[in-house]
Amino acid sequence: MTPQMIFLMFFGGAAVWFGIVVFRTLSMVRSALALLFSQTAVGVMFLLMQAEFLGVLQIMMMATEMSVMAIFMVMFMMDPGGMGAMDMTHQKRLSLWAGGIGFVAALAVIWLADWGPANLQIPDATEQTAELGRELLGRSMFIFESAALMILTAMVAATMVAIHPSEGRKR
Amino acid sequence: MTVLIVLVALAVGAYLVAVLESWAVHGRLEPARPAISALALLGRESLLARTPDRLFFEAGPVVLLLAGLLAVAVIPLAPGLIVTDLATGALFLNAALAYVLVALIMAGWGPNGAYAMIGGWRFLGQFVAYAMLIVMPITAVAMRAESLSTVDIVTSQSTLWNIAYQPLGFVLFVAAAMGLCWLPPLDLPTARGDLAGGIEAEYTGARLAVLRLARMVLIMALAGATVTFYLGGWLGPWLPAWAWSAIKIFFVAGLMVSVGRLVPRVREAQYLEISWKLGIPLALANIFLVGVITLVVPI
Repeated sequence: MTPQMIFLMFFGGAAVWFGIVVFRTLSMVRSALALLFSQTAVGVMFLLMQAEFLGVLQIMMMATEMSVMAIFMVMFMMDPGGMGAMDMTHQKRLSLWAGGIGFVAALAVIWLADWGPANLQIPDATEQTAELGRELLGRSMFIFESAALMILTAMVAATMVAIHPSEGRKR
Repeated sequence: MTVLIVLVALAVGAYLVAVLESWAVHGRLEPARPAISALALLGRESLLARTPDRLFFEAGPVVLLLAGLLAVAVIPLAPGLIVTDLATGALFLNAALAYVLVALIMAGWGPNGAYAMIGGWRFLGQFVAYAMLIVMPITAVAMRAESLSTVDIVTSQSTLWNIAYQPLGFVLFVAAAMGLCWLPPLDLPTARGDLAGGIEAEYTGARLAVLRLARMVLIMALAGATVTFYLGGWLGPWLPAWAWSAIKIFFVAGLMVSVGRLVPRVREAQYLEISWKLGIPLALANIFLVGVITLVVPI
């Protein structure tokens, strides 16, 4: 058992624990930041597995995304601070089943898929970044560009929904 | 050893910039002022607001300090004098600075006070304004260096500093950096006068001292980043490398804490409008220009 594996298990455990905290707290801000720390722990796991660019990117992107999510949760939830002790969960049975089936499916994929032999020759961080760039601007460019366009459309649509019609005119 | 040298340099630099900031605010040069203020803060009772989110209240200033220190870790002060030379240093800097937002939301939400909370959420809006203008100029810098390593970025400027190569990026980056450390005229989360201190409103005593120290570290980190990305880092004639870094960082930090005070505070909506309608097109133009120059003229 190498120190790398011990740290990997520690941060994996942290990711799962913060994931549980998301549902244990009533405060929307705590919930959002718990999800952030869960994702940050996943980012640290990337770093431990020597995927430097992906790890740093994960740690960076999640901070922003979860903070933005926090303010939306505060805006739309009835008891954002959790001080009124309102139960904001619903469809518990369905969620449990969906979560359970998802968990089993993920485990099945992990155990049954043929992952091929492990790559023992890990390229250094500079080479990884360069290869990622080639991948994103080459073979996978179409996928990423179409995803980007979809996200942009969703953002514009969300903004349109959020703006009250009477506020549309120029001030 | 390197860590210790960087930390001592950071402490000295932060102190000097604090002196400079107090000069910019009060108009008097008082070298002992930051020490006296710090002692006064540490001597005072650190009050706790009623029904706070205690975890966030305590963690906010500490997370801010950690974010600043992590950002400093990838800034080279001289050849070999860097805490860690990551292959993704420029991106890591952004990752560390993203947690400034998290820290301020924690500090705003934690004390359960209206002014603090508005200050915290205001910073989220401010983030939406400055974030792209931090990342996009860095993209152009990395394009020239063909590397994300901060050491490579400095050495790529040996013939011509980036401030001359991409002046547009420099202006955008410094302005965005001032937004990131909420310096006037972009001091929206604290906003003395209309928010009664904002995120600082509910902090007293030792906790406020940590919060203010963290902000100084942040200013130093961003001045260091500006020097690394645009002013050739440690490069310069005659003087030793570390001296050039120190002079440049002090100059940029001094510029950041003093010049903005001559301009009235920008409103949140104005700031967002300027950033998105003017700043981002300019940043894109900067990336395009740098791309063309890099491909056509090898400097």
